Amino acid sequence: MPDAFSSLLHGFSIALTPLNLLWGFIGVTLGTFIGVLPGVGPALTVAMLMPLTIRLEPTGALIMFAGIYYGAMYGGSTTTILLNTPGESASIATALEGNLMAKKGRAGPALATSAIGSFVAGTIATVLVTLLAPVVVELALKFGPAEYFALMIFAFTTVAAVIGSSTVRGLTSLFLGLLLGVVGIDSQTGRSRFAFGVPELLDGIDVVVLAVGLFAVGEALYVAAYASRLEEKMEQLKGSLWMSKEDWRRSWPAWLRATAIGFPFGSIPAGGAEIPTFLSYATEKKFTKHPEEFGKGAIEGVAGPEAANNASVTGALVPLLTLGIPTSATAAVLLSAFQNYGIQPGPLLFQAQPDLVWGLLASLYIGNVLLLILNLPLVGIWVKVLAIPRPLLYGGILVFATLGAYSLHQSVVDLIILYVFGLLGFVMRRWDIPVAPAVIGLILGPLAETQARRALAISQGNSAVFITQPISATILAISFLLLIVPVIVRVMRRS
Amino acid sequence: MKAKPAELILSLAVFILGIGVAVGASQLSAAGGYARVGPNVAPAVIAGGLILLGGWLAYEALSGGWRNAVPDDPVERGEHPFHVAGFVWVSVGLIAQIFLIHTAGFVLAQATLLTCVARGFGSKKFARDFAIGVILALAVFLFFVKLLNVNLPAGWLRPLLGGAGI
Repeated sequence: MPDAFSSLLHGFSIALTPLNLLWGFIGVTLGTFIGVLPGVGPALTVAMLMPLTIRLEPTGALIMFAGIYYGAMYGGSTTTILLNTPGESASIATALEGNLMAKKGRAGPALATSAIGSFVAGTIATVLVTLLAPVVVELALKFGPAEYFALMIFAFTTVAAVIGSSTVRGLTSLFLGLLLGVVGIDSQTGRSRFAFGVPELLDGIDVVVLAVGLFAVGEALYVAAYASRLEEKMEQLKGSLWMSKEDWRRSWPAWLRATAIGFPFGSIPAGGAEIPTFLSYATEKKFTKHPEEFGKGAIEGVAGPEAANNASVTGALVPLLTLGIPTSATAAVLLSAFQNYGIQPGPLLFQAQPDLVWGLLASLYIGNVLLLILNLPLVGIWVKVLAIPRPLLYGGILVFATLGAYSLHQSVVDLIILYVFGLLGFVMRRWDIPVAPAVIGLILGPLAETQARRALAISQGNSAVFITQPISATILAISFLLLIVPVIVRVMRRS
Repeated sequence: MKAKPAELILSLAVFILGIGVAVGASQLSAAGGYARVGPNVAPAVIAGGLILLGGWLAYEALSGGWRNAVPDDPVERGEHPFHVAGFVWVSVGLIAQIFLIHTAGFVLAQATLLTCVARGFGSKKFARDFAIGVILALAVFLFFVKLLNVNLPAGWLRPLLGGAGI
């Protein structure tokens, strides 16, 4: 395999063709535009914009998705800071200080430190992805089905049980996703499972329909029921956008520390950007020379979590691209975008389609630069998007959300399933059941099942195969400990 | 500590779903070839998981409520009490769209959806909302059909759309 540097240069030669550059530019702009909408997180943005790429060739489409992915995050932080409505859990830490800064009339510097911090963290993290991915690929080429299965179990455990407020509710969400994953034709034997004679169900349930149902329809039902009659207060964007010398001095160490925290969390399949953002917030609170400002709008409290979020989201591309394992809802939707093109990410992808992989990685650098150029000067436009009256805004979001679900197969059945998932999303939101594990379970469940059955086919049905091979055994043991130790600690504390 | 009825019902729903999946799994083929694991095994594992989780959730619901959950009182969550009309109008919009998309066509279905959802969020300007819905949906329709080559149903507006769409 050629070294990472020359591969990356080759990637740039692909990503920098005018057409691919244009797709990247469109992706970044649309991603930011949709990501700015309140209540619309990156996973939903990617799912909603999926139909736009139906007719594109894979490399261009994936470059556009990378732009959407990053744009959605940038857009989301704008909303978080100005409206105090974090579109996803990874933005909660930003909301803490960012909105307070905006209330003090410092919205400009808050937006600037979040945009520049995201750029710095995103770029460093992309360099790390570039360096790390080939190494992981080398390692992953030695993995057999048993190791893959163990890694997927590890991802399930961290995503469902470790993250979030409740292990049991996280696992319930995961198992609902796994259940949806077995609907349709069994890939190994060709027999149909739980399709109830509905031909549309034979192909299985699409991740996009689930993501849009839970994130858009469920959210709209919830907000209409519980929050549509609230007064919303948007902070004005006044004063200078620029950060003062003092702001710079306080921001850059926070960016770097946050990158160091965020990247590892994203790149081992430990799921989600939520924990690193809060860790970064706590770290900055500890290191700051201005502890009195925390809780009143401290710039480090925005700079850190935003950078951590970006570093972790970028880091999540390592398991996604090299192992085919998504560790966040957004990565799950991205994986389904890959699958729509018949591409299964994994170590073989780096050998089979180097143009695509390295073009995508190169476009991440370009996307980051484009965003920095676009986001700050255009912030006035994004703010106007936020001023659209709520009734029209949610109406518009649902128009695009249902379009995203419908245009996959032009099927009314998908729209019915979408509404059912919307009701499910409403219930999950109301009773505090996380939705991301369900999305990840749906896409990763069938892959895990396939790997398990392959492993068993090789071992002629001997199920000890998972614990007799050292790598698989170790990963499974760690997963088991992650699941069981917190429960034991809780029980012991009580007695 | 008292039980929480809504949480208990949801817990039992998970439990019963698990039983249903177990019954479904028992009717699937167990033939697994070399792997000796047929298409029935994953559903059976999932059924077991759902039954256990349903039981665990029910136990929590009966012993003081689900742990670390959001408050039951919407005001404590910083929200307002359940607004029936809001929920119903959004639902009406989505269900109407299901019926309209292959009859009235994409543009009218999406305009109806937008109008109903806006109504659910408290808008009183139906004509304005519908007009905005038509313009937005028409723009999307033309963009998809003419530029992206993705067909969307034209429906009742076919004569006006000059044969575009399906």
